[in-house]
Amino acid sequence: MVKPVLKLENLSSFIGAFHIVQGVSLDVFPGEAVVILGRNGAGKTTTLRTIMGLLRVAGGVIELAGETILGLPAHQVARRGVGYVPEDCIVFNFLTVKENLQIAMRKADKETYARQSYALDLFPDLKKAYSRYAATLSGGQRQMLAIARVLQNDNKIILIDEPSKGLAPIIVERVGEALITMKNSCTLILVEQNFPLACAVGDRYYILNGGRSVHSGHVTELANDVQLQNRFLSIGA
Amino acid sequence: MLASLQSRLYDLVRRDTFLPRFHFLAIGLLGIMLLLLPQLTGLVLVGLFTRIFVLAVFGMSYDLLRGYAGIINLGHALFFGGGTYIAGIVFANYGTSPTMLGLAVLGTTAYAMLAALLMGKIAFRRGNVVACAMITLALGEIVRQIAESWRAVTHGADGLTFPIPMMFRDRVALYYYALAFMVIMMLALRQFIMSPTGRVLLAIRENEQRAIFLGYNTASYKLVALQVAGVVCGWSGVMFALTSRFANTELLTVQQTLNALLVTIVGGTGTLYGAIVGTAFVQLAQHTLLGLRGVHLIFERWLLFFGAIYVFVVLFMPTGIVGLYQRLISHWLKPVKPR
Amino acid sequence: MDTFLILLVNGLADASLIFLMAAGLSIILGMMGVLNFAHGTMFLWGGYTSVWIMARTGSFWLGALGAVAVGALMGLVFERLFVRPAYGKVTAQILITLGLMIVFTDLARLLWGATPLPALRPAVLDGMVAVGGVRIAEYRIFLIIIGVLVAIGIHALINRTRIGMVMRAGVQSPEMVQALGIDISRYFTLVFAGGAALAALGGALYVPLVGSVWSGMGMENQILAFIVVVVGGMGSFIGTAAGSLLLGLMGTFVAWFFPPAAVVANVLLMAVVLVWKPAGLFGLEGK
Repeated sequence: MVKPVLKLENLSSFIGAFHIVQGVSLDVFPGEAVVILGRNGAGKTTTLRTIMGLLRVAGGVIELAGETILGLPAHQVARRGVGYVPEDCIVFNFLTVKENLQIAMRKADKETYARQSYALDLFPDLKKAYSRYAATLSGGQRQMLAIARVLQNDNKIILIDEPSKGLAPIIVERVGEALITMKNSCTLILVEQNFPLACAVGDRYYILNGGRSVHSGHVTELANDVQLQNRFLSIGA
Repeated sequence: MLASLQSRLYDLVRRDTFLPRFHFLAIGLLGIMLLLLPQLTGLVLVGLFTRIFVLAVFGMSYDLLRGYAGIINLGHALFFGGGTYIAGIVFANYGTSPTMLGLAVLGTTAYAMLAALLMGKIAFRRGNVVACAMITLALGEIVRQIAESWRAVTHGADGLTFPIPMMFRDRVALYYYALAFMVIMMLALRQFIMSPTGRVLLAIRENEQRAIFLGYNTASYKLVALQVAGVVCGWSGVMFALTSRFANTELLTVQQTLNALLVTIVGGTGTLYGAIVGTAFVQLAQHTLLGLRGVHLIFERWLLFFGAIYVFVVLFMPTGIVGLYQRLISHWLKPVKPR
Repeated sequence: MDTFLILLVNGLADASLIFLMAAGLSIILGMMGVLNFAHGTMFLWGGYTSVWIMARTGSFWLGALGAVAVGALMGLVFERLFVRPAYGKVTAQILITLGLMIVFTDLARLLWGATPLPALRPAVLDGMVAVGGVRIAEYRIFLIIIGVLVAIGIHALINRTRIGMVMRAGVQSPEMVQALGIDISRYFTLVFAGGAALAALGGALYVPLVGSVWSGMGMENQILAFIVVVVGGMGSFIGTAAGSLLLGLMGTFVAWFFPPAAVVANVLLMAVVLVWKPAGLFGLEGK
């Protein structure tokens, strides 16, 4: 039996006094792309932030490749091989594109540079803007930079939070292509509200509702099950 | 009649803090003890308690800002020292008749309102705690520097000695005036906090952004709080003039502001009476420590202890004495149901 | 014209000292969100340390070096023990650093007494030089050179080193920096200690200029640094440099031409800037 890369069991966490994640369990197996779906406020982003070690954990299990990472500070979680592409594509405005990539490099070896040039080939826009400050980039370019800086590292798993949010449809398409390319070489968790994009990228899905994981299965099943979609995602409603 | 008064009073105290009913007994006993104190002890303790009452009002005015409006004002001493100086200047130059006392109070009120207006307009401009702390600190220092350089009126660092009205010259009488002053100010501030304006202030403290989204002009509410706190603080400065008969620029320093800040923290912020508890604790601690200076000279360094208490309380006892007590109480007793 | 030149040099020298203090304060505020009220205390301890060492060794330079070491050490300890437990709690940090300020100001009084101690300029820099027919104190020129060097140094640090890169990123989002695998708390300690060392250096260089060291000088100069940060814009390096220049020059010129206004000029400047540009001259909107 294949061991999961990432395993969450009955995870529970707080933002300040609010108990947002109240029981999320999921497994991600090597090479998979898992999408997390759910309505606004279901706890999707909070789940990712909890995995990253950015929030206070109240209970549960987080295991990365069989080892617990529960309670580790964020930088140690990252160093163990978790790549994080946050919501709203936070890239550093006062750093150039080059520096944004540089600061995110976890090692300075040959492989990392090779992956960096691969990422830059994937997003030629970034190559053109290489020495510009990130503050001058467009929304799509910022998203590409946020993805590229994660791609250059040797990750066990990459967490991506709503990469399509706030982007024009044409850009979303390009981000989608990049995600599909990524999927071939990495294990992914993708939080996504854009259902077609989620279906195009994901293999399996989990649905969160009220801070709990309530349903899971293969994306192809969900795509055909309108009733399920309506129940948890209110698509088209 | 009495029952309804008691229940209204109870309601007043009960509304935003957890206080079991037996506290009324305790408060009643404490009140009787305070009333009898001058008959039972010497003038040293009477003087100490008079100072506690006056400084407690200073502390409560600070708590209105820090505990209810969420403002850290590091120039608060300019109201307190301002009140003392205005009273002192009036008494020293124009006599000590009751009219002059009225003039001193009126002058202080006008001064405090104007100062609060200017201070608020400048300090709330940037809209965050950090900027407000820096700006108010600078404003307070300016007032101190003006007082120090305006020697003709303030006598600079030497200080200003002045007579006080006849009715306050008896130490025991002054004690009762100060006690009444504290009780009245506490009830008045409590009324203000219970008022609609006070409720909005609480909302601002909890989440200023949300209050803004709800359509409140938060800066103007904070300005009202600063004016009320400033005026009350100025009056406590006038009362202080009556107890000290002396004013110097120490009263305008940041240290003076920090005294108020410390008592609210030690006592417990956002409770008003926490400031009274804190003032009593800090004053009694200072009194005791200074009494120990015969044992070792280190006990003369009050500020060392002051600062250490400060850091300790912020780090380990963020809710102060009142908070600690409430936690103990709620641990041992079930909370009483609201009426 | 001669007066103008002298005032200019004096103003620039003052600006250098203010800058040494304000630079650290502003960077710490921008990157960690901590308003360090104990910053003036480092300045104070820098002054006393240098005078103390100079009295024993006779060397001004050893004194300045010792001041920097003491400042850095204090910054390190303060950050680790007191500031770190309260990250994210703005009010608690203000209160804790205020408490440290009180304790360490009084400790200085305990160690060195309440009366001012004399402070001497190093013999090498005690003379005057003639610039365009005007005699100017060498020490002031030395201060200006130090100020310029430190400004260039900080600028290079921010723009050319990895530390600077993390600092620039940290101003925007410390959390994201951490999520990329960088232990930002180590950089926090480093920056805090560095800022403290600069403030202590400022104190060590300040006391020979005014000729004495006293326990109130920390607070007095801290207020100037606060005004610089408010006027220049929080966390902005250029703003801090410009604010220091403005305050230093204005202070000297106002004190010469219209002494009664000297006390209120700084605050008036601050008020005007706040009304006109609430975020400060070089402030980032919404930050």
